[in-house]
Amino acid sequence: MSLQLSAFLTLLVLSLAVPIILFLLLRASLTDLLRHTLKVQAGITFYLRSFLLILFLSALSAAIGTSFYLKPDSRFMEYVWKGAEGVSSTLEKTLWFVTVYLVLITILVATLKIKDDK
Amino acid sequence: MTNERYLIASYFAGAALSAGLGTIVYLFLRRPFGGVADAASGKRLSSMLKRLLPWGLLFPALLGFVSVSYQGCGRTTYEEIVQNRSYLVEKNQEQISSVLRYILVAVVFWDVIVLLILKYSQNGRNQSQLRQADD
Repeated sequence: MSLQLSAFLTLLVLSLAVPIILFLLLRASLTDLLRHTLKVQAGITFYLRSFLLILFLSALSAAIGTSFYLKPDSRFMEYVWKGAEGVSSTLEKTLWFVTVYLVLITILVATLKIKDDK
Repeated sequence: MTNERYLIASYFAGAALSAGLGTIVYLFLRRPFGGVADAASGKRLSSMLKRLLPWGLLFPALLGFVSVSYQGCGRTTYEEIVQNRSYLVEKNQEQISSVLRYILVAVVFWDVIVLLILKYSQNGRNQSQLRQADD
Protein backbone atom coordinates (compact mmCIF):
# COMPACT_ATOMS: atom_id res chain seq x y z
CA MET A 1 0.00 0.00 0.00
CA SER A 2 1.39 3.41 -0.92
CA LEU A 3 2.22 5.95 1.73
CA GLN A 4 -0.44 8.32 0.34
CA LEU A 5 -3.20 5.73 0.65
CA SER A 6 -2.20 4.63 4.16
CA ALA A 7 -2.05 8.27 5.31
CA PHE A 8 -5.49 8.94 3.82
CA LEU A 9 -7.00 5.78 5.39
CA THR A 10 -5.52 6.66 8.79
CA LEU A 11 -7.07 10.10 8.58
CA LEU A 12 -10.41 8.58 7.52
CA VAL A 13 -10.41 6.16 10.49
CA LEU A 14 -9.54 8.99 12.90
CA SER A 15 -12.24 11.21 11.46
CA LEU A 16 -14.79 8.42 11.87
CA ALA A 17 -13.69 7.76 15.45
CA VAL A 18 -14.27 11.38 16.55
CA PRO A 19 -18.03 11.50 15.74
CA ILE A 20 -18.60 7.97 17.10
CA ILE A 21 -16.98 8.85 20.44
CA LEU A 22 -18.78 12.21 20.65
CA PHE A 23 -22.15 10.65 19.83
CA LEU A 24 -21.75 7.84 22.37
CA LEU A 25 -20.72 10.36 25.03
CA LEU A 26 -23.58 12.78 24.43
CA ARG A 27 -26.45 10.54 23.28
CA ALA A 28 -27.95 9.67 26.66
CA SER A 29 -27.97 13.22 28.04
CA LEU A 30 -29.21 14.69 24.75
CA THR A 31 -32.08 12.17 24.64
CA ASP A 32 -32.95 13.03 28.22
CA LEU A 33 -32.93 16.76 27.50
CA LEU A 34 -35.06 16.35 24.37
CA ARG A 35 -37.52 14.08 26.22
CA HIS A 36 -38.03 16.81 28.81
CA THR A 37 -38.48 19.46 26.12
CA LEU A 38 -40.47 17.88 23.31
CA LYS A 39 -43.85 16.25 23.51
CA VAL A 40 -43.60 14.69 20.06
CA GLN A 41 -41.56 11.45 20.05
CA ALA A 42 -40.71 11.90 16.35
CA GLY A 43 -39.07 15.23 17.23
CA ILE A 44 -36.68 13.49 19.62
CA THR A 45 -35.74 10.93 16.95
CA PHE A 46 -35.33 13.69 14.34
CA TYR A 47 -32.96 15.78 16.45
CA LEU A 48 -30.92 12.72 17.50
CA ARG A 49 -30.54 11.58 13.91
CA SER A 50 -29.65 15.04 12.71
CA PHE A 51 -27.02 15.27 15.46
CA LEU A 52 -25.50 12.02 14.24
CA LEU A 53 -25.54 13.32 10.66
CA ILE A 54 -23.98 16.64 11.64
CA LEU A 55 -21.12 14.85 13.42
CA PHE A 56 -20.38 12.42 10.59
CA LEU A 57 -20.86 14.83 7.68
CA SER A 58 -18.69 17.56 9.21
CA ALA A 59 -15.87 15.15 10.07
CA LEU A 60 -15.96 13.31 6.75
CA SER A 61 -16.24 16.45 4.66
CA ALA A 62 -13.04 17.79 6.21
CA ALA A 63 -11.19 14.47 6.03
CA ILE A 64 -12.08 13.69 2.40
CA GLY A 65 -11.20 17.23 1.37
CA THR A 66 -7.61 16.76 2.56
CA SER A 67 -5.25 15.99 -0.30
CA PHE A 68 -2.18 13.79 0.26
CA TYR A 69 -0.58 14.43 -3.10
CA LEU A 70 2.94 15.55 -2.20
CA LYS A 71 6.15 15.54 -4.21
CA PRO A 72 7.22 11.99 -5.23
CA ASP A 73 10.33 12.19 -3.03
CA SER A 74 8.41 13.32 0.07
CA ARG A 75 9.58 11.91 3.40
CA PHE A 76 7.50 10.05 5.97
CA MET A 77 7.14 13.04 8.29
CA GLU A 78 5.72 15.19 5.49
CA TYR A 79 2.81 12.75 5.24
CA VAL A 80 2.43 12.87 9.02
CA TRP A 81 2.24 16.67 8.92
CA LYS A 82 -0.31 16.52 6.15
CA GLY A 83 -2.32 14.01 8.22
CA ALA A 84 -2.12 16.30 11.26
CA GLU A 85 -3.40 19.14 9.07
CA GLY A 86 -6.33 16.93 8.08
CA VAL A 87 -7.10 16.00 11.72
CA SER A 88 -6.94 19.68 12.65
CA SER A 89 -9.37 20.55 9.87
CA THR A 90 -11.70 17.67 10.88
CA LEU A 91 -11.79 18.69 14.53
CA GLU A 92 -12.27 22.36 13.70
CA LYS A 93 -15.19 21.70 11.37
CA THR A 94 -16.80 19.26 13.83
CA LEU A 95 -16.42 21.82 16.61
CA TRP A 96 -18.08 24.58 14.57
CA PHE A 97 -21.05 22.48 13.54
CA VAL A 98 -21.54 21.02 17.02
CA THR A 99 -21.56 24.62 18.29
CA VAL A 100 -24.26 25.52 15.75
CA TYR A 101 -26.27 22.45 16.82
CA LEU A 102 -25.90 23.36 20.50
CA VAL A 103 -27.11 26.91 19.82
CA LEU A 104 -30.11 25.43 18.01
CA ILE A 105 -30.89 23.03 20.88
CA THR A 106 -30.53 25.89 23.39
CA ILE A 107 -33.07 27.94 21.40
CA LEU A 108 -35.32 24.87 21.25
CA VAL A 109 -35.18 24.36 25.01
CA ALA A 110 -35.55 28.09 25.74
CA THR A 111 -38.58 28.55 23.51
CA LEU A 112 -40.43 25.31 24.20
CA LYS A 113 -39.60 24.22 27.74
CA ILE A 114 -40.15 27.52 29.57
CA LYS A 115 -43.76 27.73 28.45
CA ASP A 116 -44.36 24.12 29.48
CA ASP A 117 -42.97 24.80 32.94
CA LYS A 118 -45.47 27.62 33.44
CA MET B 1 -7.36 3.90 -18.23
CA THR B 2 -6.44 7.24 -19.80
CA ASN B 3 -6.83 10.45 -17.82
CA GLU B 4 -9.66 11.59 -20.08
CA ARG B 5 -11.61 8.37 -19.53
CA TYR B 6 -10.95 8.64 -15.81
CA LEU B 7 -12.29 12.22 -15.83
CA ILE B 8 -15.52 11.19 -17.60
CA ALA B 9 -16.08 8.11 -15.41
CA SER B 10 -15.27 9.87 -12.14
CA TYR B 11 -17.44 12.89 -12.99
CA PHE B 12 -20.58 10.85 -13.61
CA ALA B 13 -19.81 8.50 -10.71
CA GLY B 14 -19.44 11.59 -8.50
CA ALA B 15 -22.77 12.98 -9.70
CA ALA B 16 -24.47 9.64 -8.94
CA LEU B 17 -22.78 9.48 -5.54
CA SER B 18 -23.97 12.97 -4.62
CA ALA B 19 -27.55 12.09 -5.58
CA GLY B 20 -27.21 8.83 -3.63
CA LEU B 21 -25.92 10.59 -0.53
CA GLY B 22 -28.77 13.11 -0.67
CA THR B 23 -31.27 10.25 -0.98
CA ILE B 24 -29.73 8.28 1.92
CA VAL B 25 -29.90 11.32 4.21
CA TYR B 26 -33.52 11.88 3.12
CA LEU B 27 -34.44 8.26 3.89
CA PHE B 28 -32.71 8.54 7.26
CA LEU B 29 -34.70 11.66 8.25
CA ARG B 30 -37.98 10.98 6.42
CA ARG B 31 -39.92 9.13 9.13
CA PRO B 32 -39.13 11.32 12.14
CA PHE B 33 -39.66 14.45 10.02
CA GLY B 34 -43.01 13.10 8.80
CA GLY B 35 -43.94 12.35 12.41
CA VAL B 36 -43.14 15.92 13.50
CA ALA B 37 -44.97 17.42 10.52
CA ASP B 38 -48.07 15.26 11.12
CA ALA B 39 -48.20 15.76 14.87
CA ALA B 40 -47.44 19.42 14.97
CA SER B 41 -48.99 21.22 12.03
CA GLY B 42 -52.06 21.46 9.83
CA LYS B 43 -52.76 18.94 7.10
CA ARG B 44 -51.81 21.21 4.18
CA LEU B 45 -48.59 22.46 5.75
CA SER B 46 -47.63 18.93 6.77
CA SER B 47 -48.13 17.60 3.24
CA MET B 48 -46.17 20.48 1.71
CA LEU B 49 -43.25 20.07 4.11
CA LYS B 50 -43.07 16.33 3.52
CA ARG B 51 -42.90 16.92 -0.23
CA LEU B 52 -40.24 19.60 0.17
CA LEU B 53 -37.89 17.51 2.33
CA PRO B 54 -36.44 15.25 -0.44
CA TRP B 55 -35.76 18.26 -2.69
CA GLY B 56 -34.35 20.19 0.24
CA LEU B 57 -31.69 17.50 0.64
CA LEU B 58 -31.16 16.38 -2.96
CA PHE B 59 -30.66 19.87 -4.42
CA PRO B 60 -27.97 20.89 -1.91
CA ALA B 61 -26.14 17.61 -2.62
CA LEU B 62 -26.14 18.28 -6.37
CA LEU B 63 -25.31 21.93 -5.80
CA GLY B 64 -22.29 20.90 -3.74
CA PHE B 65 -21.17 18.63 -6.57
CA VAL B 66 -21.49 21.18 -9.37
CA SER B 67 -20.01 24.01 -7.32
CA VAL B 68 -16.49 22.56 -7.74
CA SER B 69 -14.73 23.84 -10.84
CA TYR B 70 -11.94 21.95 -12.59
CA GLN B 71 -10.47 25.20 -13.87
CA GLY B 72 -8.05 26.84 -11.48
CA CYS B 73 -4.52 26.53 -10.06
CA GLY B 74 -3.10 27.70 -13.39
CA ARG B 75 -5.14 25.15 -15.34
CA THR B 76 -7.54 26.82 -17.77
CA THR B 77 -7.64 24.58 -20.84
CA TYR B 78 -9.03 21.06 -21.09
CA GLU B 79 -5.60 19.65 -22.02
CA GLU B 80 -4.02 21.15 -18.92
CA ILE B 81 -6.79 19.71 -16.75
CA VAL B 82 -6.51 16.14 -18.03
CA GLN B 83 -2.70 16.22 -18.02
CA ASN B 84 -2.30 15.21 -14.40
CA ARG B 85 -4.18 12.28 -12.76
CA SER B 86 -3.43 13.45 -9.22
CA TYR B 87 -5.13 16.78 -10.00
CA LEU B 88 -8.25 14.92 -11.14
CA VAL B 89 -8.30 12.78 -7.97
CA GLU B 90 -7.85 15.92 -5.88
CA LYS B 91 -10.85 17.50 -7.62
CA ASN B 92 -12.93 14.35 -6.97
CA GLN B 93 -12.07 14.57 -3.28
CA GLU B 94 -13.03 18.25 -3.33
CA GLN B 95 -16.38 17.39 -4.97
CA ILE B 96 -17.28 14.74 -2.36
CA SER B 97 -16.20 17.05 0.44
CA SER B 98 -18.35 19.83 -1.00
CA VAL B 99 -21.37 17.50 -1.35
CA LEU B 100 -21.07 16.47 2.31
CA ARG B 101 -20.73 20.11 3.40
CA TYR B 102 -23.80 21.24 1.47
CA ILE B 103 -25.88 18.33 2.85
CA LEU B 104 -24.67 19.28 6.32
CA VAL B 105 -25.89 22.85 5.87
CA ALA B 106 -29.20 21.50 4.55
CA VAL B 107 -29.62 19.28 7.65
CA VAL B 108 -29.03 22.31 9.90
CA PHE B 109 -31.61 24.23 7.85
CA TRP B 110 -34.21 21.44 8.33
CA ASP B 111 -33.40 21.43 12.07
CA VAL B 112 -34.42 25.10 12.14
CA ILE B 113 -37.60 24.29 10.19
CA VAL B 114 -38.53 21.56 12.71
CA LEU B 115 -37.88 24.01 15.54
CA LEU B 116 -40.27 26.49 13.90
CA ILE B 117 -42.91 23.79 13.35
CA LEU B 118 -42.74 22.75 17.00
CA LYS B 119 -42.95 26.37 18.14
CA TYR B 120 -45.88 27.05 15.82
CA SER B 121 -47.73 23.98 17.08
CA GLN B 122 -47.09 24.94 20.70
CA ASN B 123 -48.51 28.41 20.09
CA GLY B 124 -51.56 26.78 18.48
CA ARG B 125 -52.03 24.48 21.48
CA ASN B 126 -51.66 27.35 23.97
CA GLN B 127 -54.22 29.46 22.09
CA SER B 128 -56.76 26.63 22.00
CA GLN B 129 -56.23 26.02 25.76
CA LEU B 130 -56.84 29.74 26.43
CA ARG B 131 -60.03 29.65 24.33
CA GLN B 132 -61.28 26.61 26.27
CA ALA B 133 -60.54 28.37 29.58
CA ASP B 134 -62.48 31.47 28.40
CA ASP B 135 -65.50 29.31 27.43
